[in-house]
Amino acid sequence: MRKIVTSVIAGIGLALACGTSVRAQDKELTIFWAEWDPANYLQELVNEYTAETGVKVTVQTTPWPDFQTKAFTEFNAHGDAYDLVVGDSQWLGAGSTQGHYVDLTDFFNKHKLNDVMAPATIKYYAEYPGGSGKYWAIPLEGDAIGWSYRKDWFEDPKEKEAFKAKYGYDLDIPKTYAQLRDIAEFFYRPDQKKYGVAIYTDNSYDAMAMGVESAIFSYGGDLGDYATYKVDGVINSKEAAAGLDMYKELYKFTPPGWGKTFFVEDNQAITGGLAAMSMNFFAFFPPLVNKATNPYADVTGFFANPAGPDGKRFAALGGQGISVISYSKNKDEAMKFLEWFIKDETQKKWADLGGYTCSQAVLKSEAFQNATPYNKAFYDTMFMVKDFWATPEYAEVLDQLNQNIYPFVVGGKGTAQEALDKTAADWKATFTKYNRYK
Amino acid sequence: MASVALTNLDPASRAAARGWSDLTIRNLFIIPTLVFLIVFNIFPLIYSLGYSFTNFAANRGDAWQFVGLQNYRELLSDDHIWSNFIITAKYVIVSVAGQMIVGFGLALLLNRSFPMKGLITTLLLLPMMMSAAVVGLFWQLLYSPSWGPINYVFGLGDFAWLSNPDSALYAVAITDIWMWSPFVMLLSLAGLSAVPQHLYEAAAIDRAGWWYTFTRITLPLVSPILLIALIFRTMEAFKTFDIAYTMTTQPTAELIAIRLYKQAFQQWDTGKSCALAYIVLIMVLAITNLYVKYLNKVKER
Amino acid sequence: MAAVRTSSEVAFNRIAIAAVLIATLIFLAPIYWIASTAFKPKELAVSVPPTVLFEPEVTPFVRLFTKRVQMQKAVDPQVYDAAPWWEKRIYDGGERVLKVGKDVQLSQYPDRFMNSLIVAVISTVLAVGMGTFTAYGFSRFKVKGEADLLFFILSTRMLPPVVVAIPMFLMYRMVGLNDSHIGLIILYVAFNLSFSVWLMKGFMDEIPKEYEEAALVDGYTRMQAFFKIVLPEAATGIAATAVFCFITAWNEYAFALIMTNRRAQTAPPFIPSQIGSGLPDWTTIAAGTFLFLLPVAIFTFLLRNHLLRGVTFGAIRK
Repeated sequence: MRKIVTSVIAGIGLALACGTSVRAQDKELTIFWAEWDPANYLQELVNEYTAETGVKVTVQTTPWPDFQTKAFTEFNAHGDAYDLVVGDSQWLGAGSTQGHYVDLTDFFNKHKLNDVMAPATIKYYAEYPGGSGKYWAIPLEGDAIGWSYRKDWFEDPKEKEAFKAKYGYDLDIPKTYAQLRDIAEFFYRPDQKKYGVAIYTDNSYDAMAMGVESAIFSYGGDLGDYATYKVDGVINSKEAAAGLDMYKELYKFTPPGWGKTFFVEDNQAITGGLAAMSMNFFAFFPPLVNKATNPYADVTGFFANPAGPDGKRFAALGGQGISVISYSKNKDEAMKFLEWFIKDETQKKWADLGGYTCSQAVLKSEAFQNATPYNKAFYDTMFMVKDFWATPEYAEVLDQLNQNIYPFVVGGKGTAQEALDKTAADWKATFTKYNRYK
Repeated sequence: MASVALTNLDPASRAAARGWSDLTIRNLFIIPTLVFLIVFNIFPLIYSLGYSFTNFAANRGDAWQFVGLQNYRELLSDDHIWSNFIITAKYVIVSVAGQMIVGFGLALLLNRSFPMKGLITTLLLLPMMMSAAVVGLFWQLLYSPSWGPINYVFGLGDFAWLSNPDSALYAVAITDIWMWSPFVMLLSLAGLSAVPQHLYEAAAIDRAGWWYTFTRITLPLVSPILLIALIFRTMEAFKTFDIAYTMTTQPTAELIAIRLYKQAFQQWDTGKSCALAYIVLIMVLAITNLYVKYLNKVKER
Repeated sequence: MAAVRTSSEVAFNRIAIAAVLIATLIFLAPIYWIASTAFKPKELAVSVPPTVLFEPEVTPFVRLFTKRVQMQKAVDPQVYDAAPWWEKRIYDGGERVLKVGKDVQLSQYPDRFMNSLIVAVISTVLAVGMGTFTAYGFSRFKVKGEADLLFFILSTRMLPPVVVAIPMFLMYRMVGLNDSHIGLIILYVAFNLSFSVWLMKGFMDEIPKEYEEAALVDGYTRMQAFFKIVLPEAATGIAATAVFCFITAWNEYAFALIMTNRRAQTAPPFIPSQIGSGLPDWTTIAAGTFLFLLPVAIFTFLLRNHLLRGVTFGAIRK
């Protein structure tokens, strides 16, 4: 008996020791982010900080579908596991009003970051509420929806001829969604295992919402008035419904089994030779230009999101800013790290490693724009981005959108107008619940 | 409640004279477990019962208010929630029935002596030793119409198991059947091996047919353990979260546990989630109670 | 089965054994698929038609244990030539290994694996230990309202983890047990205890009371009798219970996902994150799955005889 008891106690002691040993070393920072290439680039960047200062910095990651949940369970537990978080732009509302983020307004003004970082990135990644001049994050990774495509398919003379005969205009990079749809239809040949287009349909977080909102914005629709919370007549406007209809139309030309897809699947559609065009965030393009990861690397091209029928052109914003978590025990150390991070040479190094810096100076440089085949398209896109709701209740709003549009896009149930009418009603109820209409 | 239950003790026990009394030992053995379960299961339940009558949200510092039965009213009149329950019911029926049939079938086949029986039985248990989240992930690949082996082997072409709103739930159920039939098999094997041989011998002498032997001897004798397997699998299937959560995001396959998870840990609607949790709990309790009553009846026969 | 074996019975037996073998193959096919993917070159993991035969390689395991980053350009040939073999394999996959100075950065997999071991082993020992004591208590002593108490114990297993997770999350937040090993261990014990009590109760009932009575006559105390007579007799049941508890704790996902983060996170929520950061990397995730299956498979295999007999005794003769 004594033996068992002793060993059990020893075991618990061991567990506790393991649990607390991490805390013993000071001078250590943990940054939380999602699992993707930029997080690995960031790890590489911060290793240099470690070399300079001796402060160990770890970038801890979790898969995208769990990212929001994991971050917010930790915030809401007031946990100190992470010192900094590279959080989605939609989180700003909750992060700032619920006290999870440290106010960085003074830091922002002291370093005149308004002049350093690109305007769109400040507006969406740092400031909340919009126009208030209060800042909660330092823009870290700029990102937006873009497209990759198979140049060899597009440039094949036979295809060009057949396309012209069928649609009456030249096969080229699509300038409008209507053209994108035609091209997708044209290359949709299931008997040859070739498909038109790969789009996002994963609704476990914001993937499908980002794809859909890109279309809605370009068709002249909007999600709502972010200042007054007016949604009825906005999210369910004719324009918005037309955008959603277009997204549903594109789904017809996707490879089979395209019902839960995000960046991994969309990239695979290109590397596996399945699709002519594929939607993805720019940050996911690196594997497409490396011969070792994409057999078609030489014949893969990139373009920015096409325009809607009226020539309006927008793309959904991705990307994140870095915030200091208010429950961290190393806030001073974290601020020192941010001082280092915003230096021009750090930002340049960040871009060299593959990160999408938000520093205007770097973005505008020739060197950056020519560094990869898609950096130019990225630069263009960053001037036409729009974002999702950033209110504290955005998670509920996002879930309601997913609930309503997924059955329409993937399940083919109902109409776009019905899906968006329902969304408008749900959103209105939610905003009413949170007293947004005072 | 435990202390009341423990007051009378068998006075005839001889050990009472030596060492710790039986009373002490009994209390020492039983009470810690009961206390542990009360502290870590019952106390949280009372805690969340309280929250289920409020509009408390764990992510906000706002003061919360008592809202009475409003959460329950809203939930029970919400079509989404009802469809989640119907989906869950379909899932439980299909997946548990599948597991019982496959598992018991396997056990019937295994219930004879042949070389390497122990090894084969252990190998068959491998699926249930895996992490459900990872199983879900890999089955997604197996089901893939573009590069999954399932469609290739069975020549199903482009059939999109998980992207088709009508088949997604059943695709998840098939995976669950694959994973948990071995559990039913194991329990059934135990049951079968406990059927006295002389009953079979008697039946053979009477030249009873296979079907007669099966329905009159085998089935009645193993039914208690089949019911135990049924209870455990029904409970687990009702709670299914990880497999379905990693495999598909189809609203037609959104089980109640997934809805609950989203409501509680994505939207942080804590009060309402607690109410939903209670509705789920009452349902599971009711079903299990029915089973256990039936089980006791079967045992008495 | 029967005393006299007719030829039709022999034939039936053969068919049954053949069916068992076929069923085993079907059941093992997905596992073979995962295990073989762990040794495949990346591009063969999603090939059409599916690859069954290939030259195995250990690169997925190298990837599993290292922190890597996607390269946007081909590697410099000189750097490539100077690299050790395993690093070359990483370069071949279009990635490079992250380093701090000269030290290769390891992935989190070893840490997560260790966390799983700590949490699963300790929680299994506690759940089986407490379950055994309690089962003995219920089996040997009169307890008022025994049936109700046992149903109460069983009912704690009926709660969907998410139901318990909400209040536990709030309680843990108060006492600071979020993201700790001990917090997770408590949850898993609470989760497994009911199963353990039920299984062990059935088993304890099977051990004849006369054994202990004899020991008591010989001058043993009740405690001595329990440890020296009852426990050895119960070994089979304990082993079977331990297997079930270990499997559950080892693979638990929902609580680990919600309650743990940087410090105590176990492997099940972590392995899926290896799916890749730009392209799906099924080989690395398969390698992680394969290694993670080994401990539980070995444990079960070692205790397989107990498992079959243990379940027979424990559950059936109730």
